Amino acid sequence: MTETVKTRIVVADDDLDILDLVVFKLNQAGFDTVAVTDGVAALAAIEAEPTRLAILDIMMPGLSGLDVLRNLRANEATKGLDVILLTARARDADVDTGFATGANDYVIKPFSPRELLHRVNAVLARGDR
Amino acid sequence: MNVGRTFLIVGAAIGLACASAIVVVAIAKLRRGRVAARSRAMLAPYRHSLITMVSGEDDDGQAREALSAVSAPIWVRLRPSVVAFLPKVRGLPADNLGELMRAHGEIDEATRRLTSRSAVRRARAAYLLGLVRDPASAALVLPLLSDHVADVRLVAARALGTIGDPAAASGILDALRTQNGQIGLPAWVAAEALLAMGPGIGPVLQIGLASKDPAVRNVCAKVGGHGTYLSTVPQLRVLLATDSDGDVRVSSAVALGRVGGAHDAAILLRHTDASEPTVLRRTCATALGDLGQHESLEALAGLLADDDRRLAERAADSLVRIGPEGIVQLEMAATTGQGLSAQAAGGALEVAGLRGQLAHIAMGS
Repeated sequence: MTETVKTRIVVADDDLDILDLVVFKLNQAGFDTVAVTDGVAALAAIEAEPTRLAILDIMMPGLSGLDVLRNLRANEATKGLDVILLTARARDADVDTGFATGANDYVIKPFSPRELLHRVNAVLARGDR
Repeated sequence: MNVGRTFLIVGAAIGLACASAIVVVAIAKLRRGRVAARSRAMLAPYRHSLITMVSGEDDDGQAREALSAVSAPIWVRLRPSVVAFLPKVRGLPADNLGELMRAHGEIDEATRRLTSRSAVRRARAAYLLGLVRDPASAALVLPLLSDHVADVRLVAARALGTIGDPAAASGILDALRTQNGQIGLPAWVAAEALLAMGPGIGPVLQIGLASKDPAVRNVCAKVGGHGTYLSTVPQLRVLLATDSDGDVRVSSAVALGRVGGAHDAAILLRHTDASEPTVLRRTCATALGDLGQHESLEALAGLLADDDRRLAERAADSLVRIGPEGIVQLEMAATTGQGLSAQAAGGALEVAGLRGQLAHIAMGS
């Protein structure tokens, strides 16, 4: 019998409602998720085990989602990691900054969990190509 | 001797008081923690149903049914979690949350409270109806735009923006006017509410741009630009050229920079003339960068030598944003230009280099 390896996704958000919701949705879709509530823990979780994607809130205590993203892109081992920013910061300039920092996608709150799942699948599919 | 004893007694009393305060605070914290833990344990089974419903995984509707059937005492504890999710999700999960609120009588209660004698209750009711985003609530919240309490008017405007029904747009514009001694809505609150209503407000904006009230024209010009309402462009051109109100002209220039076309480069350039008000000249210089038309390259380069150094900086920044051809203009000015012009161009190139804009342009060209 072969055991399928689940794709590992780190989800970082200091809002426990959002964290529970995203993790539940991704688990239902068959992903292996790790939930953390701040940027430092997100970096530690990503570096601890091979991770395929990170979903990061921008405004978090300690390191912000953008700081985490900068760290990831500056590190040889993690610079290719797919990252989706999930944030309430909706101004054009915020979106520009997110993509300029290296995000693969940018989802604005309030969000549709179903749409988020589609975007996760799309980002992962792009990375597999 | 007596003095020493008095000090000792006072010190002991203060120490005792501090120790008592620490014990009281610790007990209160412990009790609060226990209550929270008990509440979490009590809500745990419902929390799972709530997450299932909000995630859109409740295909058979069982989770919603279970949550709709909870008793009143459980609902009182569950309600804050449901309300907390309302501004965080959209689409079907948000609709389901709204239906859950309705099943527990929250919408009917909020509707009743819109006419409460308490301003706080009226505002809270409008806020809740806004969170639920049911278009049917817009007509109910609309009268609160003329509430005698300013804070209630403000909450009502935000709620109407969140509901997003374009039918409320003209009501928002009316609420901008100061009437019967009531100060109108702050411009930014009205603008945000209108922007949240989406493309359906185009016709209302066109009417607003022709309003006699400069506050209304100003907000409509801002919204026209930020919301990319192309239908407003002809009126924006007229307002920039002829409006009697300086703020309206500035807002029209900003908007034209965002939604105008090639033809508007010449119009914006005309208003960088030294005879125009300083703030309008500077705004037009920035708007030319937003517009990004090559027709304005030479004129922007000419502004680098302007006596108004802030204007020169803005012209230089616009040249950077226009792209490789703008950078060429700046490099020419920096190397061959005279004093002020070379200074502005050199500064802009330095900042662009720090921001990584020059490498990006070099790669793209």
